[in-house]
Amino acid sequence: MNDILRISVPLTVWIAAFSAVYGLQGIVCSDHWGAAGLGLSAARAALVAAWLVAIAIQLGLLLVLQTPRYASPSRWVRWVSVALGIVALISTVWTLLPVVMTSVCI
Amino acid sequence: MVATVTPLALAGCEERLSTVHPAGPAADAIAVLWWVMLIGAAAIFALVAVLLVMAFRRSEEHPGAEADARHERIWIKAMGLGFTLTVLAALTVWGIYIGERLLPRPGPEVVSVGATGAQWTWRFTYADAPGRQTEGVLHIPAGRPVDVGIESADVIHSFWVPRLAGKLDAVPGHTNVLRIQADAPGDYAGLSAEFSGPGYTGHRFTVRAHDEAGWDAFLRGEG
Amino acid sequence: MNALRRHRELERIWGPRPGWRGMLTTVNNNDIGLMFLIVAATFFSIAGVLAMLIRAQLATPESVFVGPEVFNQLFTMHGTIMMFLFAIPLFEGLTIYLLPKMLGTRDLAFPRLSAFGFWCYLFGGSLLIFSMVAGIAPNSGWFMYPPLSSTLGTPGINSDFWLLGITFVEISAISAAVEIVVTILLYRAAGMSLDKMPIFAWYMLIVAVMILTAFPPMILGSILLELERAFGMPFFQVEHGGDSLLWLHLFWLFGHPEVYIIFLPAAGVVSTVLPVMARTTLLGYGWLVAAVAALGVLSFGLWVHHMFTTGIPHMGLAFFSAASTLVAVPTGLQIFAWIGTIWKGRPEMHLPMRWILGFFATFVIGGLTGVMIAMVPFNFQSHDTYFIVAHFHYVLVGGFVFPMIAGIYYWLPHFTGRKRFFRIGETAFWLVFIGFHGTFLLLHWAGLLGMRRRIDHVDAGSGWEGINLISSVGGFVMAMGFALIIIDIGVNVAVASRGPRNPWKAGTLEWAMPAPSGAYNMASIPTVRSRDPLHDDPDLPLRIARGEGYLGTPPASGLRETMMVEMSSGRPSHKIIFPGNSAMPITMAVVTGGLFMGMLLKWYWLVPLSALGVIGMAVWWAWGLGSRRDEGLQDVGNGLALPPGTQSVNPPGWWGSLFTLLADGVMFGSLLFGYAFLFTLAPNWPPPEWLRPEQRDLMLWLGGAVLAFGGIRLADGALRREGTPWPGLLIGLAGLAGLGAAALSVLRGTTHDGHAYEATLWVLGGYVLFHVAVALIMMAFLCVRESFGYLSALRIGEARVVRLWSDYAVAVALLGLGAAWLPGLAP
Repeated sequence: MNDILRISVPLTVWIAAFSAVYGLQGIVCSDHWGAAGLGLSAARAALVAAWLVAIAIQLGLLLVLQTPRYASPSRWVRWVSVALGIVALISTVWTLLPVVMTSVCI
Repeated sequence: MVATVTPLALAGCEERLSTVHPAGPAADAIAVLWWVMLIGAAAIFALVAVLLVMAFRRSEEHPGAEADARHERIWIKAMGLGFTLTVLAALTVWGIYIGERLLPRPGPEVVSVGATGAQWTWRFTYADAPGRQTEGVLHIPAGRPVDVGIESADVIHSFWVPRLAGKLDAVPGHTNVLRIQADAPGDYAGLSAEFSGPGYTGHRFTVRAHDEAGWDAFLRGEG
Repeated sequence: MNALRRHRELERIWGPRPGWRGMLTTVNNNDIGLMFLIVAATFFSIAGVLAMLIRAQLATPESVFVGPEVFNQLFTMHGTIMMFLFAIPLFEGLTIYLLPKMLGTRDLAFPRLSAFGFWCYLFGGSLLIFSMVAGIAPNSGWFMYPPLSSTLGTPGINSDFWLLGITFVEISAISAAVEIVVTILLYRAAGMSLDKMPIFAWYMLIVAVMILTAFPPMILGSILLELERAFGMPFFQVEHGGDSLLWLHLFWLFGHPEVYIIFLPAAGVVSTVLPVMARTTLLGYGWLVAAVAALGVLSFGLWVHHMFTTGIPHMGLAFFSAASTLVAVPTGLQIFAWIGTIWKGRPEMHLPMRWILGFFATFVIGGLTGVMIAMVPFNFQSHDTYFIVAHFHYVLVGGFVFPMIAGIYYWLPHFTGRKRFFRIGETAFWLVFIGFHGTFLLLHWAGLLGMRRRIDHVDAGSGWEGINLISSVGGFVMAMGFALIIIDIGVNVAVASRGPRNPWKAGTLEWAMPAPSGAYNMASIPTVRSRDPLHDDPDLPLRIARGEGYLGTPPASGLRETMMVEMSSGRPSHKIIFPGNSAMPITMAVVTGGLFMGMLLKWYWLVPLSALGVIGMAVWWAWGLGSRRDEGLQDVGNGLALPPGTQSVNPPGWWGSLFTLLADGVMFGSLLFGYAFLFTLAPNWPPPEWLRPEQRDLMLWLGGAVLAFGGIRLADGALRREGTPWPGLLIGLAGLAGLGAAALSVLRGTTHDGHAYEATLWVLGGYVLFHVAVALIMMAFLCVRESFGYLSALRIGEARVVRLWSDYAVAVALLGLGAAWLPGLAP
């Protein structure tokens, strides 16, 4: 089971972060955000911060998966888990890049 | 009157719903995107086909760990990762860039109209002529950006004028804003593009783009 | 014992009962797999005929062959049957048949569950076919968008057939998925570590997990829509705080992974068949595993690309546009790995290879158009036009049907034990291939010229009449090709001559047995050292038949013996006894059907009655398992002795429960998502009043959670120390009762058909109540089992299963009721 977790955790964290940022985008564009007295620049800041946190978590996971304590005893599983860690990191950067590329709420 | 008919005649009957015969800036940008993607896709398909055909030539090499490593380098790292990542990254950025250009941003020239879809008709209202309502025909000024506020009276519909811009859905309880613009005066065919039951096929409308004088006349109630 | 006697003995133990009763009571993977395949092929033919009717209607302009009412049923049912009753059951059937053989084991993890799944599939599917024959089939599209599919647009019974029939069928998808995951993780040949698994097993492991995480949102959506239709709970009615966009999210949360759920098994077939056809090994096994795992997860971040035109802000769309292009990278990697595999081998042009090349030509086009429509601006133009219709037929027919036919022809000698004799297959290939491209290639262009999906006739002068005529002709050519394939397979099964074992000289274990295989699959369980055991040791089939592997001596007890392995290493860990033939699965499916029939016919009294029946059946089902005494190590041959599975800390049932709860958890997560979505974005919120819990409810809630959480742990610990579990069990029961009372207070405090907020709270409370009730029944069951002596310090597995379910009930009670009360408690 641990090997299955090693393989599946980074990408699972990606989908969680991706959905969370999408949800956050929904919130900052809803009436609730304005009602709380927050504007568009705060919205952008929150989204970018969430993106950076997601990247940091992925970097952390990638490092942890290579430490003697958490790496798999099987060389093959270690390779796959690190490869998928890199995939998850790239996915986090790539799919959430729009937070710095597009307008926030139109 | 002549001005109204010309673009339709030029486009021909068969092209009145064509996305590849654009008559406005949004449809134009998307048509360019399509042609570029088509050429790129054809090139990639040809590449794959050639590689496949070549794979059937008698190979001279001796199998072994070294050959496997070489294949992995070429096929997986260079082609599978390098090639696909490069092409897709470029396309993604370009697609987002075009998408940003199509958004309904505020501006002094912008005209606002309302479109309400219902089974199976479209009703239109005009910010510049309060109380004015038309059914089946949406009047707009040519050469000016128009923001259509799209709503639904019953089920989900979609507002689509293929030669002017992409489509946007009419969702009950929501107002979606679509930017359209006709470069020249004339009639442009519009469709509902979300399945809505038995009357769906005939759920159409027309966008009538007026020249400046015609638009003023329409707003005055003479159109 | 010689090989023939061993075969006869094992066949007697593992085979079905004689006669027609055998079919109704069999739980063997070979029978169930074949039954799935045959029924799926039948549904394919039915949906194919519907497609022909659609093409007949669109062949000429202004056609009056069918009217809009009939036409809408035709395309709705064509899509629904192809997606739910053909594609998924087809690969499930193939997997159920082949997987134990490829893994080198004797059957799937839960034989009775496979049979139950099959009957649910057959009954649910038949319900839909019945509706069509009766002329009251679903007619609002396979995507069923409300309000059109709800009471506003479809007051009749049509939508109910879809919602209930498909949900009934989904039981089989979920149960097959649990089955496949647990089988791959726990039942393999000795020494088959994760990196030595056949590549197909990796594909199916990932697909099965995807089914468990993708289907629940749609099952939830179907339940909510059915509740709206039956009881007026307004989840999708905007005037009462609902939102039809909620349905779109739930449906596409399922719908996009679904596409990959259908594609990946076929890709697994390509990865299995292609290297054999190219006389080499697969290039980049590890890369492919990583790519498929990446695809599996990335495909969950694409759902909004079906909703680009619903008015979501551009940033939201851009996230999904970027994810949609990214997902093409692992797909492209697979394509190039396959091409590289051919390059490094010496390809031979057999019929399966032909289909794989057809797959390449078709699927690559579908993939490229897929990248195009991932671009938001282009999607605005092409969405809901025939460009999309053409695109996904290239992906689904090219990417699923073609490889599956390659697989069927590849494994046909295995199914039949015969050589393909007539050469009809080659003709059929060209008919289908040319017919397919004739049908769909030009339809891309019709879409760009403005031809919308789902229009019931082609207008004269529209400019796409010619394309539609060509398309219809192509469609009929393709249909002839498919008919020929079915005939070809039938003829080959019936009259071809005996062929050699392993005609393709493949290396995987399914070829290490006589063809067709015995019901037991493996005469003895081998030890493997690589991914191609038959290439390591060409005599392996003989040695397996001679009983030189594990469990080579059929037991005099007549029990179905097999072996469980440690998950990562494949080291044998336990000896397992599988249940035998039983009428329980089909009976259970009939009783379960009562739930759906009761809802469909609005005989609501039947629903609780059937629920009671299901509970009774489940208790009966579980009672037959387990053992009342501790046993020592048991000989499995080759000098190895293993403990029995009943003495495993985490028995297969625990793993099955874990993955069932994964699916259940995703459903709960989707429910919370729906609640948050309506709260944040739906019009007509906030509701007139928030529910405020009383202090008594809060105490029941927190106190119950603490007691239920602690009680089962106390019982578990006591059992392990050979102490009495009773105090722990009673505390647990009390705790669960408290949680149940707290959940009831939510139902009592709201009216179900008021505002969408209240309806959502009803479902949240009902969900918690249901799981608390399940945990209560299981805990009570555990008490009875304790009194009958089924539990001991060694036989702890059942208590562990109950602990899992009880903990889940506590978790959803804390989260669910907490979420229900949160707005009312906030200042």
